[in-house]
Amino acid sequence: MEPLIRVENLCKDYQVTRRREGVWGGVVDLVKPRREILRAVDDVSFEIPAGEMVGYIGANGAGKSTTIKMLTGILTPTSGHVSVGGLVPWRDRTHYTRHIGAVFGQRTQLWWDLAVIESFHLLRKIYEVEEGAYRKQLDLFRELLGLDEFLHQPVRKLSLGQRMRCDLAAALLHGPRLLFLDEPTIGLDVVAKESVRVFLREIRDQLGVTVLLTTHDLGDIQQLCRRIVIIDHGKVIFDGEIDELRSRVGDRIKLTIELREAATSASLADVTGTMPVIWRAGDGLVHEVEFSRRDVRSAEVIRAVVNDRPVHDLRIEEQDIEEIVRGIYRRGDAKATDAADEGQEAGDA
Amino acid sequence: MHDRSGDNILPRRDTSWGRRLREPRRQGAIIAAYFAQFLKSRMSYRVDFVIDLTANLFSLGVQLTVLTVLFGKIDALRGWSYEQVLFIYGFSLLPLGLFNLVGVNLYNFSEQYIIEGNFDRVLLRPVNSLAQVMFSSFGINGLNELVLGSAVMIYAGGRYGLSFSAVDIMLLPVFAVSAALIFAGVFLGLTSVSFWFEDRMGLAPPVYNVIRFSRYPLTIFHPLVRALLTFVLPFAWVAFYPAAWFIGGEEFRLLALLTPLVGILTFTLAYVVWTRGSRRYTSTGS
Ligand SMILES: Nc1ncnc2c1ncn2[C@@H]1O[C@H](COP(=O)(O)OP(=O)(O)O)[C@@H](O)[C@H]1O
Ligand SMILES: [Mg+2]
Repeated sequence: MEPLIRVENLCKDYQVTRRREGVWGGVVDLVKPRREILRAVDDVSFEIPAGEMVGYIGANGAGKSTTIKMLTGILTPTSGHVSVGGLVPWRDRTHYTRHIGAVFGQRTQLWWDLAVIESFHLLRKIYEVEEGAYRKQLDLFRELLGLDEFLHQPVRKLSLGQRMRCDLAAALLHGPRLLFLDEPTIGLDVVAKESVRVFLREIRDQLGVTVLLTTHDLGDIQQLCRRIVIIDHGKVIFDGEIDELRSRVGDRIKLTIELREAATSASLADVTGTMPVIWRAGDGLVHEVEFSRRDVRSAEVIRAVVNDRPVHDLRIEEQDIEEIVRGIYRRGDAKATDAADEGQEAGDA
Repeated sequence: MHDRSGDNILPRRDTSWGRRLREPRRQGAIIAAYFAQFLKSRMSYRVDFVIDLTANLFSLGVQLTVLTVLFGKIDALRGWSYEQVLFIYGFSLLPLGLFNLVGVNLYNFSEQYIIEGNFDRVLLRPVNSLAQVMFSSFGINGLNELVLGSAVMIYAGGRYGLSFSAVDIMLLPVFAVSAALIFAGVFLGLTSVSFWFEDRMGLAPPVYNVIRFSRYPLTIFHPLVRALLTFVLPFAWVAFYPAAWFIGGEEFRLLALLTPLVGILTFTLAYVVWTRGSRRYTSTGS
């Protein structure tokens, strides 16, 4: 079946001017600016079927926002193709944007000086939303997002969390089938973050909106998405289910053991014998042992230790996604650095 | 079972006549709503609004005084009578006023929209991007120029013994709007340049100064300047040619009638540059 979003070999170059240092450097810059090409998105391809909520993750500067801006028609790609529901975002912009919603955590889409409700009225006119549908949608969001307390306040007076809730409502008022979210939880406190997540789960389940969600907060992803696309230095380094990522990187388990009597790591290694585990050097009483769930069961490791030593306490930690992703980054980094070294000069034109 | 095959296709652009006829209404309604909101948000800073209004009335008074003093000393200018010169001046204020009503947004476009990245928001909405920028705020001062210009024209025309035919009365607003399109075109062109050169170009102020030339009878200038103002920066069409329809000789009649054409051409050309430029928009890194 044809996917709703199809991205093929998408690239975006920025021209950046590198300033020279010092006063003389400033003068030279005026005459002969140093321009370089920065490839922010590099040969990215993926597909998203209707109804899915996909996490698009990566470190700062990885190229997430640039990708979203191309998908929403703000930026024209340097090369490659994007097709969303058969439309090309930047080419069909004024028509295409009727059918999508977008929230950029860094920048509100609302009118700074207007009361929230007035911004909504304007959006209703712009998107030609029928009165009935508008009422229904607004009532739903007022309830889900608790908008009532600040609906009549100007946007400039809202807190970041309140503003984000309004932006989410604004992006969905016209009932778009697609929602693009760029860092929707950035800068929010724990409570506000949670309310955004709950809301997103609601609209995914209730309205069946297809969502592409950008974040560097893995908590968002763990709670909302089954599938993630990871990019690093503009390149896709992973595309698949979170579970698959776990098993691919190796489902590592870390066991922290607190002993009653001090011991060396070497002596503990003797206790586990031939089991494929790694003992980290501890301070005598506290030790850490790591192993993969595929190689050995935690129960066996624990039994071996407990049978041989007096144990005061035990703690089992699964590696969280953050660490898994960091592992992938490290591998991705090596490749991306090579590519950066080959970056061409843009000339002086 | 629920058929989900349609889920993957967004509706095509509706090109039916019903839609096409409805579209201007939608855009009109949006602009009207923008204007209402503009007034509202201006009034919410009530003190500013009152100060603005007072300042405007004051500046209107000053301009009228200066004008009386200035033109009171001039009898004639190289074959052009005091009344004719004054009439051209009066007319020149009409397109300037019309343009200033919505053109203020072009002056700081580069800083506000490109450097600060606010053009993102414009591009996200299903409305023509230029219309959104132009109608995002309104230069109410433009009304001053419209009032002042009309007053001066009526005064000068009356003293000149001008009689307007029905055709003249129909042509006057057409000329004024066309001339405003020329202004808009020239400044839109200059504004669009900032899509290519991010640093502020500062081209607009010097060009704005050239506008002053457009307020005098063109024939008093060196032929080179005349050619420049006719063909390069078409400011001659902004006031002199159209005004000459009413008070000038036969030789300007055809040129005057070309005003709408020049207006549409200038603006269209600038709009093409604008559209090309928007594709180059790179937003900002966050
Ligand atoms: N408008 C721009 N002009 C020049 N460089 C940019 C621009 N926007 C982003 N970049 C650069 O492109 C890279 C990717 O940026 P971005 O897409 O914003 O990453 P992310 O959203 O993942 O943090 C970064 O190195 C950033 O500095
Ligand atoms: Mg970003």
